Amino acid sequence: MMENFKQAFQDEARELLVELESALLELDQSREDREVLGRAFRALHTIKGSGAMFGYDDIAGFAHNLETAFDQLRNGELAATSDLINLTLAAGDHIKTMLDRADGRGTVDEQRTASILANLKQLTGSSDGPVANGPQVAGPLHGEEVHDWRVRFRPSLDILSTGANPLLLLREMRDLGTLGITLDTSGIPPLSELDPERCYLAWDMVLTTPAGAEAIRDIFIFVEDHCELTIERVEEEKTARAATAGPATAAASLRVSVDKLDQLVNLVGELVTVQARLSEVAGRRDDADILEISEAVDRLTASLRDNSMSIRMLPLKTTVQRFHRLVHDLGIELHKDVELTIEGADTELDKTVLDQLNDPLVHIIRNSMDHGIEIPEARRAAGKSPAGTIHLSARHSGANVLIRISDDGKGLDAQAVRARALQRGLIDEAAQLSEAEIFSLIMTPGFSTAQTVTSVSGRGVGMDVVRRSIEALRGSIDIRSKPGEGMTVTLVLPLTLAIIDGLLVRVGTSHFVLPLADSLECVELTSQDIKDSHGKHIAHVRGELIPYIRLGEYFRMKNARPEREQIMVVDTERGHYGFVVDEVLGDHQTVIKNLGRLYRNVQVVSGATILGNGTVALILDPHRLVQNVIQGMSSKTRRNRSKDPQNSTFKKETIINGA
Amino acid sequence: MAKVILTVDDSASVRQMVKFTLSDAGYTVIEAVDGRDGLAKLTPGVNLVITDLNMPNLDGIGLIKGVRANPASKFVPIIMLTTESADTHKQAGKAAGATGWIVKPFQPQQLLAVVKRVLG
Repeated sequence: MMENFKQAFQDEARELLVELESALLELDQSREDREVLGRAFRALHTIKGSGAMFGYDDIAGFAHNLETAFDQLRNGELAATSDLINLTLAAGDHIKTMLDRADGRGTVDEQRTASILANLKQLTGSSDGPVANGPQVAGPLHGEEVHDWRVRFRPSLDILSTGANPLLLLREMRDLGTLGITLDTSGIPPLSELDPERCYLAWDMVLTTPAGAEAIRDIFIFVEDHCELTIERVEEEKTARAATAGPATAAASLRVSVDKLDQLVNLVGELVTVQARLSEVAGRRDDADILEISEAVDRLTASLRDNSMSIRMLPLKTTVQRFHRLVHDLGIELHKDVELTIEGADTELDKTVLDQLNDPLVHIIRNSMDHGIEIPEARRAAGKSPAGTIHLSARHSGANVLIRISDDGKGLDAQAVRARALQRGLIDEAAQLSEAEIFSLIMTPGFSTAQTVTSVSGRGVGMDVVRRSIEALRGSIDIRSKPGEGMTVTLVLPLTLAIIDGLLVRVGTSHFVLPLADSLECVELTSQDIKDSHGKHIAHVRGELIPYIRLGEYFRMKNARPEREQIMVVDTERGHYGFVVDEVLGDHQTVIKNLGRLYRNVQVVSGATILGNGTVALILDPHRLVQNVIQGMSSKTRRNRSKDPQNSTFKKETIINGA
Repeated sequence: MAKVILTVDDSASVRQMVKFTLSDAGYTVIEAVDGRDGLAKLTPGVNLVITDLNMPNLDGIGLIKGVRANPASKFVPIIMLTTESADTHKQAGKAAGATGWIVKPFQPQQLLAVVKRVLG
């Protein structure tokens, strides 16, 4: 591509030389004509500038001297003498020979170059050296040592008038290393005096980078006249760190008993509830002072909540590392060769969740080793490698953690499972079940397909216990399998059990909370929309067809339908679904209280919370709700109807467990 | 959508180099041959102006003043191309409201780095 540019430069430079020549000849006629002088100057200027850009350093350096002379002419520091004009004409011809040489034709008389420049120097009395060719934008200087830099950047009020964007500068800082930014908003004037075209903000940053002060300063080079910038290296901290290297590591973490943490989280939960009351009261009073305090408390509570929650977070590693040993020992016992691979072990989970996760995970792995993975001879016969693999992976997905345990064993045979379930009387002969539903049967109490009972997996009482523990954690479990290829168990678990961000909605006089992490958007549903869809529970949301569930109907609530309803679009395991409510009230920090023992079979409600005015709102589990509705529609023959909340209307005020 | 850059230069080879480099990086480039042409081609869709300072008809300083005087474009970043020998020009450009500058000669990657700095 550079070749193309070079050709373009050659063509252009030759044109410019013609232009220079004609300008010089005109200049000879009228020595004071500034317009003509300008033309000559620009020709030389462009030859110099472009020449250097495309690698013609000799031409650029040569033209630079001529350009300097013509700059002086333009500024009246020098008179256009015929000597100078003649010399420049000769110099123009010389540039032409230089261009020819660059094009591979002829040679350049270097002595002539020197003599023209010497004559020029004599005429002008000065001559600069050739153009320096230093890079303008310095990259980060990669030293070996990483330093902390404290950078304070306070742009002047009018920085935006230069078209500068402080955000981009901060981003560029971030590219240099690890950056902590604090925004200083103290300069913002009252609203009445605020000019939206001015920048009132300042930033304090701590940058950890191998780059030097120059590289940092370089980022702000365009705005240096429009800001106060201080860059200082943080020295003392490093020395302090070095001096106290021993004890410092001990102080970096602290052992605290779980009880204390639980207590902290409980207190934060109470605080969140009280805070909800405060904002409720403040909202009603319409007193700006109280409102301001309430908002401040709101913000503090939210960050206190996040902080105390994060204290309880532990990486999954702490639990799953032990599994290597488990797999190894079991392999010996069962005469199977199995390798366990773990991915995403750094994924963090609430300690309570993590503790209760150990047993189910152990059970699933045991199950895979015992019933899933075949003995080496059988694997060889099936054309697989004699060593089996169990892969455990974990990752975050919204407010949930996805844990997947897959093996490459013999998998589940849907027909065998179905036959077994029939034999045990778990399903009807006529039941139409999807594959996923059939597989979930193995988690029904008293189900076992293994032909032999071993000491490892016990007597097939396992998977139902696993399901119960996962559901107690408000998680869900899903089994996928292909005969001969293996089985995958997917656990979806909430990050935390105590407090979530929810969306408060109203249906009639009742309030419900939907988890905010799953909520996508909120759209209106008018009577006209309902008419347009001919009574089908389907809404058009920006070209997407979204089936919806009317919560009022689902819970058999007898209230008039308002003219305008709201659909909360929620991302569920089964795609996007809408929940129709009367009104969306806003986000709500939701302290989760468990429902009483009586309601443990109510699956669509994951708990309850207390609102600011003291009333109770049920926390819905959108995934279960959708699943429940789909199952309710698809299989009327299901016997297990007692678990279906459609048949059990309940008064929710009575079901809070001693909250 | 691709960001639109207006390059104003009386040197066709510089324009070509700027255009090629920026088009290659995914920007849309509009060319103008001098300040007057540049002001005429300054539509509301232009996200950045790159201008030479020495040009016939209307020079770079005049162009920068013109861009800043128009309420629709007063916050559009402007990069000026200067030469090391012309510090007074640089000062005049900054005073007129230029956002940044590149010293000629420059390499394509230097141009991209500066464009990224002011345009994101």
